[in-house]
Amino acid sequence: MALLTLEDITKTYKQGELLVHALQGIHLNVEEGEFVALVGPSGSGKTTLLNIIGGLDTPSAGTAQLQGTDIAKLKEVERSDFRLFELGFVFQAYNLVPVLSALENVELVMVLQGLSAAESRQRAEHYLQLVGLEKEQQRRPSALSGGQQQRVAVARALAAGPRLVLADEPTANLDSENAGALLDLMHQLSHEEKTTFIFSTHDERVMARAERIITLQDGKIISDVRTNKHD
Amino acid sequence: MISKQSHLPVAILMKLAWRNIWRHRKRTLITLSSIAIGFALAVLMIGLGDGGHNSLIRNAIKLGEGHITVQPSDYQQAPGNHKFLAHGASLSAQLQDLHIPGSIEPRIALQVLASSATNAIGAGLEGLGAGIDQRALMLQPSITHGYWLEADDIRGIIIGDGMARKLKVSIGSKVVIMAGKQGGDSQSQLARVRGIFDSKIEALDDYLMLCNISLARLYLVGEGADASLEPVTRFALYLDDPNTMEHVKHQLQTALEDKHTVVLDWQQMMPDLVQFIIVDDAGNYVFLMLILIMVVFGILNTVLMSVLERTREFGLLRALGLSRRYLLLLVFCESLLLSAVAVGLGWLFGGAVHLWFSTYGLDITAMMGGNTAMMGTFMDPVIYTELSWSRITQLTLIIFTATLGSGIYPAIKAARVTPVEALR
Repeated sequence: MALLTLEDITKTYKQGELLVHALQGIHLNVEEGEFVALVGPSGSGKTTLLNIIGGLDTPSAGTAQLQGTDIAKLKEVERSDFRLFELGFVFQAYNLVPVLSALENVELVMVLQGLSAAESRQRAEHYLQLVGLEKEQQRRPSALSGGQQQRVAVARALAAGPRLVLADEPTANLDSENAGALLDLMHQLSHEEKTTFIFSTHDERVMARAERIITLQDGKIISDVRTNKHD
Repeated sequence: MISKQSHLPVAILMKLAWRNIWRHRKRTLITLSSIAIGFALAVLMIGLGDGGHNSLIRNAIKLGEGHITVQPSDYQQAPGNHKFLAHGASLSAQLQDLHIPGSIEPRIALQVLASSATNAIGAGLEGLGAGIDQRALMLQPSITHGYWLEADDIRGIIIGDGMARKLKVSIGSKVVIMAGKQGGDSQSQLARVRGIFDSKIEALDDYLMLCNISLARLYLVGEGADASLEPVTRFALYLDDPNTMEHVKHQLQTALEDKHTVVLDWQQMMPDLVQFIIVDDAGNYVFLMLILIMVVFGILNTVLMSVLERTREFGLLRALGLSRRYLLLLVFCESLLLSAVAVGLGWLFGGAVHLWFSTYGLDITAMMGGNTAMMGTFMDPVIYTELSWSRITQLTLIIFTATLGSGIYPAIKAARVTPVEALR
């Protein structure tokens, strides 16, 4: 059974008088442990698709299931808990809570999950060490570089033990060197932690690191290629 | 379905809320200062108001009929010279037996016509008991001519300077005091002016005439009373601890009240003064309301601004799995902490202001045009702020509720944030 199954996902919304077809009949299966890149030009539907998978948005039609759970059919409160316990998120920017230190940011999701303070602290320290930020753990986001902030976000996403990590253009605000380093880190952790990653990008240098590249255009999948880049 | 639920410990909630309110330190400090200053002003206004009212009440009680009055049951509705407590001596003994901490002062009150060689005017003749009398103590320092009554002076009277002017009398002048009798007849006694006072209270200076109780009792005898039973119009009770008034009143009602005798407290004896204080208090509450509006908008502005600035952050928190309920609680806790700090600072400022004015007072004579008389009594020229525990609780609750209430709308607004729109 695939980890993620999307069947005939359609998303239509109104923009003024105009009806926008953001997604049109998306079918997709993602297996556990895959490192998948969603690529395509701006407006192709990458973010909308990630939002639907992440339970942040609901499809106009079709079903999105994560290991048998129909995400769209969950109630508001259930979707919130679903995101908390099943998913990890890395966004393009504004990833961290400004009033919390790097360590507290990583701890937050685990605290929300109900883990003990000691266990949350231990896991947060471990994952910050994995992303190479053990010395910066007491710093607040404003005292971290853009690349460091994204690494904290990756540590937070993984520390809570999700089935699936969704990253929406995580490298968009980073230079090539930092973008490459972040993707290498995500790739490495994906294998070490056996966590499934789906990330969107339109940066060709970044997509080159993916094991599977799904290309979207005008809300449709126009190609789905496995690159066999398993380490 | 998802069986696990999110959980946000109170300590983390409070830590987040506390750090959030200090995100814009200057803005928070300005808001807190405006609330604290507003609160200090409210404390001063209410404290001065209560101080002034209590001063009026204390003086009215001393000049009037005490904290509690025992008098004929129908006297309050229709006063009359023929209405008196015939068995004054036995009532006095009953009162003494109750061992009420304070003083019990027998008095005779009569409505009379005072006539001099040149004029005649209506007057209130008050016969004072032989012991210490609070009213006498209050008026003795106001004597401007002559001297106070000797204990054995059965013809002496003390009058106000207003009455002296109207009657055109001076020390030693003869005044005929005539009182109507039940049935239409009248009875008169001759008296001499021993002293003239100037209390600055027009109602007293123009109308009040004081004498020893023995002179006033002659009129009750004329109404058929037995002098040996020491009849009186009323007993005025001055309590050492005014806070025991309700308890003592109940005690007296149980012991003394019957169809001829009634026990009344000062509020029942002086309903006009009570009404005046209620109306004056209403003015203070209007002022308090204005301060509250300022406080509410101060908090609303700070918390709402901070919510609107953090839409993306709320979207992130919602995306990470923080429920709407916890987000609402988080913003509400920010208001709660802001309110708690504001009330704390408010009391620090307000308390300091109160401490100053309760120690050094505020001289109001210039503000009152040199005369602090009102409602037949007077306010002490220097007002000291007074704050009772009930006022402290009331002010704290009002400000706290108002500040907390002003955080409801921003909290609801924050909880309505949808992650997909916030993060777009």
